[in-house]
Amino acid sequence: MTRGGFEGLDACVHCGFCLQACPTFLATGDESDSPRGRIELMRALERGDLTADDAALAYHLDRCLGCRGCEPVCPSGVQYGHGLEAARARLTTARGVPRLARMALWALTTPGVSAVVYWFARVLRATGLPRLFAGWGRFRFAMGMLAATKPDGKRRYGTVRDGEGRRITPTVPYRPLPSLTVQLFRGCVQDGLFSHVHDATVRTLGINGYDVREVSGQGCCGALHAHAGLIDEARELARKNVDAFGDGEEPIVVNSAGCGAMMKEYGRLLGDERCERLAARVRDVTELLAGDAIKGPVPGAPLDLHVAYDPPCHLLHAQGVAVPPLKLFAAIPLLELVHVPGAAECCGSAGLFTLLEPEMSRAVLAAKIERLRVAAPQVVATGNPGCVMQIGAGLAAARVPARVRHPVELLDDSYRAAGRYE
Amino acid sequence: MDGLPTHRRLPDLVVLPGTREELIAVVRLLAAHDVPFVPRGAGTGLSGGALADEGSVLIVLTRLNRILKMDAGNRAAIVEPGVVNAKLSAAAQPHGLQYAPDPSSQSACTIGGNVAENAGGPHCLKYGVTANHVLALELLLADGTMVESGSPGGEPWGPDLVGLFVGSEGNFGIATKITVRLTPLPRAVRTMLADFNGLRTAGEAVSAIIAAGIVPAALEMMDQSCIAAVEDSVYAAGYPRDAAAVLLVELDGRNEAGVIAETEAVAELLRKSGARSVRIAASEAERERLWQGRKKAFGAMGRLSRDLVVQDAVVPRSALPQVLETICTIAKRYDLVVSNVFHAGDGNLHPNISFDATDPALKQRVEAASAEIMSTCIAAGGTITGEHGVGIDKLRYMPLIFDPESLGAMQAVRRVFDPKERVNPGKVVPVHACREWTSIRSAKFGMRNDDRQFNSAFPISHSTLEPVP
Repeated sequence: MTRGGFEGLDACVHCGFCLQACPTFLATGDESDSPRGRIELMRALERGDLTADDAALAYHLDRCLGCRGCEPVCPSGVQYGHGLEAARARLTTARGVPRLARMALWALTTPGVSAVVYWFARVLRATGLPRLFAGWGRFRFAMGMLAATKPDGKRRYGTVRDGEGRRITPTVPYRPLPSLTVQLFRGCVQDGLFSHVHDATVRTLGINGYDVREVSGQGCCGALHAHAGLIDEARELARKNVDAFGDGEEPIVVNSAGCGAMMKEYGRLLGDERCERLAARVRDVTELLAGDAIKGPVPGAPLDLHVAYDPPCHLLHAQGVAVPPLKLFAAIPLLELVHVPGAAECCGSAGLFTLLEPEMSRAVLAAKIERLRVAAPQVVATGNPGCVMQIGAGLAAARVPARVRHPVELLDDSYRAAGRYE
Repeated sequence: MDGLPTHRRLPDLVVLPGTREELIAVVRLLAAHDVPFVPRGAGTGLSGGALADEGSVLIVLTRLNRILKMDAGNRAAIVEPGVVNAKLSAAAQPHGLQYAPDPSSQSACTIGGNVAENAGGPHCLKYGVTANHVLALELLLADGTMVESGSPGGEPWGPDLVGLFVGSEGNFGIATKITVRLTPLPRAVRTMLADFNGLRTAGEAVSAIIAAGIVPAALEMMDQSCIAAVEDSVYAAGYPRDAAAVLLVELDGRNEAGVIAETEAVAELLRKSGARSVRIAASEAERERLWQGRKKAFGAMGRLSRDLVVQDAVVPRSALPQVLETICTIAKRYDLVVSNVFHAGDGNLHPNISFDATDPALKQRVEAASAEIMSTCIAAGGTITGEHGVGIDKLRYMPLIFDPESLGAMQAVRRVFDPKERVNPGKVVPVHACREWTSIRSAKFGMRNDDRQFNSAFPISHSTLEPVP
């Protein structure tokens, strides 16, 4: 009998080594808000000791970010994420999806509807009003999130000039590389509000020998649905993408960590070989750019920037991609990485979590923003749209003067300053 | 539930006070209504000491997690009970100091829990256990009164009440402020790994090092099944899988040259005692990896099996080789997986028995083997707990080493602090074995080997080892 993911929890011997890796436990100190406590609740749910309509069970499982920060510290290799997905599917069967989540999914991921929503959001963003309204309240935080998606336009940060005001360009000559075809995954939010990140992805990959192709017929990856417990809808979306990307051999490049993590799991989600093969082609953009781990990407021009790297949970924990983003920064001379304690802790965005559990989400974020205030970087770099918006909104609300950027945007700036695109 | 997989309890109520004042108010309210309560830190304990029954209130201290004062000049810090052990050391590190007692669970466990259990750890071989590092305590007794004990310098003013409180397993009250001693970080450290073909030879190597008059900072042993669990985990440290046992030895001191000389001497001793190879960590990163493997070994036991009995016996170091061999024989006779990971330098054994509790026949074998291992250790001149405490898990062994008079005396001391036995009831002293069995309440919270069912959402038997009704 298949246990739908609960079997991943069997290895837990309650040693408690996960507690300090859990952002929600750090926020509340309550065992029920810790991985170990939630595993006990999920086990009780599976055994039938607790029913899926138990209010306390739902309360604590809903408050889990799903960041999976507990997995890499677990000595027994408990598959917490799989267990959580199984438990949430049961909760969703029992009580349906909260109306707010349903509305958000409809507005953000339904083709046709979302196009209008994103168009309106971009118009609002262009007025500059969201930035002025940014704050901690529900509406103001949403404004801050929207403001954080705004591209920097013509402004360039950190370009270095010599005594006569000329840009300093790298001495390493650039030779065009033999090109390899890759397919670009556009996603929903990433495509609607972060098309500039897609542009930077195409350009930087081009310099590093990748010919990026557009793929029609693709759509949302289904991660938000899977996290909300809507497994069937997630499967439907996944199937659509599998059909769109076809059976070729080309890598599929993803620049949103949440989507990448989901797509790498398509094999498990759909349980067939074709999806397994597709999942094996998925690469985070930083993995492709870093190429072989020794050389890293083609270097760019120096940028005089202090950057704090905030690894997205779905890149670091779910995909296990830790080093490639650092290779990107290493390809930008002069750029200095600022150490921020607890950078690997979740920012509290976690897909729809920021919308559904604002209280916990802000509590988790506030700790990170405070540490960023102390570290005072000029730019916070992170490779996931949710994290960009969440951290951006937090910085704006706390009036901490730092911008949030995708790592490829920084590399893109560096290449532009180097004249690589001329 | 805590770090011990075999016991579960469901309290009637859980309280998470956010400040010292709230904690005091809660305890006074409970005193007014005569309700028993159990203090709990991070719940990493391995004797069930922080489990609360039906009828009691669980007071969780994780939110009292402030370091109140870092006094580098006097090498002391004042902390609240919920401060995480490793975080205290991290905060002391910029001052060139550390909090020396380092239980394997230090990344999660709290100082309050360390004080209650008198926690040990690998480096306690040289630096001493928690009791050697607590200078003063502010205590909240069961009836709600506040008491201060100890002194800033650590020298007791009057009887050593701090010494009495540390290790009282939550039976005397709650420590609300803890003044700890901080120790200078060693200037030179060397860590080495030696692997052996036999548990016995490894045990003999331990005796050889101690007999040579060398005091390592730590001297730890892991056996083959433990090595396999660690090497399969994210904390893989490169321990040789084909070794019957490995020894992790650390030497530290004030100057490089002295430590290097001592390292060479120990390496030589290890080789002479039959080590197949001796590897000295070449970098800080390698050293850290060797240690992480050891410290996360208990957590990795889930890779062997879902259920686990954890033991904590101490034997004279000279008896180690013989006791280890006997444990092996017992494991073979009962056809069980026994993993040994322990503080060899202290003679503090942790034989862990992995099993699947859903198999009743297996449970009986585990029970019988545990009892046999424990009596082997006692027969060798040892005792039933080195650092995990008695809690509820080792209650049944207490009458094996103490006569009723001694147990009665322990209970009398406890009643000085808590006359009604309301704090952490039913732990440490098995009242049914005690001649001074006076109150009905004590009986109620005494050794719980009855098969009473809970009327709760978690209908789980008390212990996977207790008889199935």
